[in-house]
Amino acid sequence: MTDSFVFKGRAWVVGDDIDTDMIYHGSYLPLTDPQEMAKHALEYVPGMEDFTDRVQPGDILVAGRNFGSGSSREHAVITLQYNDVAAIVAESFSRIFYRNAVNLGFPILEVAGVTRAVETGDELEVDANTGRICNLTKGTEVQGTPLSGLEKEIMTSGGLFNFLKKDMQTAE
Amino acid sequence: MPGKTIIEKILSVHSGEDAWAGDRVWADLDLAVVRDFGGPNVVLEYEKQMDGEPVWDPHKIAMTFDYQAPAKVVQVANNQRICREFAAKHGIPHVFDVNCGVGQHVLLEQGMILPGSVVIGTDSHMNLLGAVGSFSSGMGTTDVAAAWATGRLWFRVPESIKITFKGSYDYPASAKDLTLFLLSKIDTTKTIYKALEFYGEPIDGLSLAGRLTLASMVTEMEGKIGLIIPDEDILSWIGERSGRKVDAVLPDRDASYWEEREFDIGGLEPLIACPDRPDNVKPVREVAGTHVDQVFVGSCTNGRFEDLRVAAEVLKRMGGKIAPQVRMIVTPATTEVAVEAVEAGLYETFIKAGAMVTNQGCSLCTIGHHGVLAEGDVLVSTGNRNFRGKLGKGSEAYLASPAVAAATAVKGEIALPE
Repeated sequence: MTDSFVFKGRAWVVGDDIDTDMIYHGSYLPLTDPQEMAKHALEYVPGMEDFTDRVQPGDILVAGRNFGSGSSREHAVITLQYNDVAAIVAESFSRIFYRNAVNLGFPILEVAGVTRAVETGDELEVDANTGRICNLTKGTEVQGTPLSGLEKEIMTSGGLFNFLKKDMQTAE
Repeated sequence: MPGKTIIEKILSVHSGEDAWAGDRVWADLDLAVVRDFGGPNVVLEYEKQMDGEPVWDPHKIAMTFDYQAPAKVVQVANNQRICREFAAKHGIPHVFDVNCGVGQHVLLEQGMILPGSVVIGTDSHMNLLGAVGSFSSGMGTTDVAAAWATGRLWFRVPESIKITFKGSYDYPASAKDLTLFLLSKIDTTKTIYKALEFYGEPIDGLSLAGRLTLASMVTEMEGKIGLIIPDEDILSWIGERSGRKVDAVLPDRDASYWEEREFDIGGLEPLIACPDRPDNVKPVREVAGTHVDQVFVGSCTNGRFEDLRVAAEVLKRMGGKIAPQVRMIVTPATTEVAVEAVEAGLYETFIKAGAMVTNQGCSLCTIGHHGVLAEGDVLVSTGNRNFRGKLGKGSEAYLASPAVAAATAVKGEIALPE
């Protein structure tokens, strides 16, 4: 499965410090159905209010520093996952968001300088194994931090529960 | 080989491994907590994954309903019911329902949080329990559901930053101002995932409430945990409540820190975090006179008895009435705080001043309940977050101490206490 961690898609670029209220506002916390959660992705990010109407399966979200700061709500990952966003590439992630994405098997990658190299609408190829981002529109490349260690194992297993179940089977 | 930091020690004990910063370890958990937000998601995920299997240890699971207490919308009422039914089915005794208050504070008062423990929960401010030297961490649905199944979770052992304060300050400066001072001085891109250890005379002098204030906003510093070594008073407070002999976890003398910082807070003055970031901190005097529509005293950061007492004293000293155009909401953190505040006469002071005193809980911090803001409204809050539109699109929030919040309510504009 590791070898398939390469994604090709259109970029959506957002800025620094996009917090969990902007990704998925607190007023929707009572929701438990992922399809319902998906209707509110990025609603509070200025300029992205109609994101869920315009996003296409396989699109890639590109963000600045500290993406996902604030709440522990896993809804913030699920809302993007259920819009079929293929991956998130950010300058850096806030820690709980990062962990939630790993645990849900949702590909995320830290790439310094990525927001300077990509504009919304650019066609990207993201290789989560090598950490390399190719901007196919501009013909440029940026190198990020490849996934590694335990986080990679959990992410490529399809999330924490799949990883644990595999682990339990091995133990048996 | 150098010695270990507090977090390296705690995670070594809980993983049974020789844990060092940067290592990935699987650690045994002492407690896995859900709220009425996140809780139903955890229950549904657990049931989907575990298919009726019993939980790892019903006594090490707790539920605290503080998000929307009591429920305002039917969906949350349903969610709370999902949690209660799961608890009954699995024999989980520790359900702190909508009448109890802010989860972490309730667990602390119940003697369920010990120094050196590892606690997780669906609250990004779970880590305020670092105030008593516990490694507590906010987590999402999947983590907590997995914890309920196995009693263990993976951790990347954080690097530690040793922060030492020196100097002294006087009223009206408070633990909140010390916290905002630190937020303004550190680069939060460099504290992501770090464990902070706090030292120095100003820390030694903090009460439990003050320690909780500081530790709670380590979340806004993007840190994993802020650890304060409990003093004798706090150890005996926890000892009495837990019925157990408790000890502090101390770092080794030769522990290796990622960074060591020293801050002189001599002459600290009241500070305020301006919109839209908790680290956008200015002296109160620089923004004094800014019009304010609503004031909130409460939250997991400043909802203890002594926070309410300071606010009440300022109200009294400044004439006993809030400005007519201001709405003031006061929320005690827990039942215990509420009872103490009633007995001390604080409720009477607040109500006669024109404030509304709500039941214990997270109140308006969670936007689930009451006190939401209109477009253009300005809030001064003793809470911990002032992100754009958190309490209503087009509204703004400032973060300050209970003393500044109360003075602001009296004046109808951002003000220093007299």
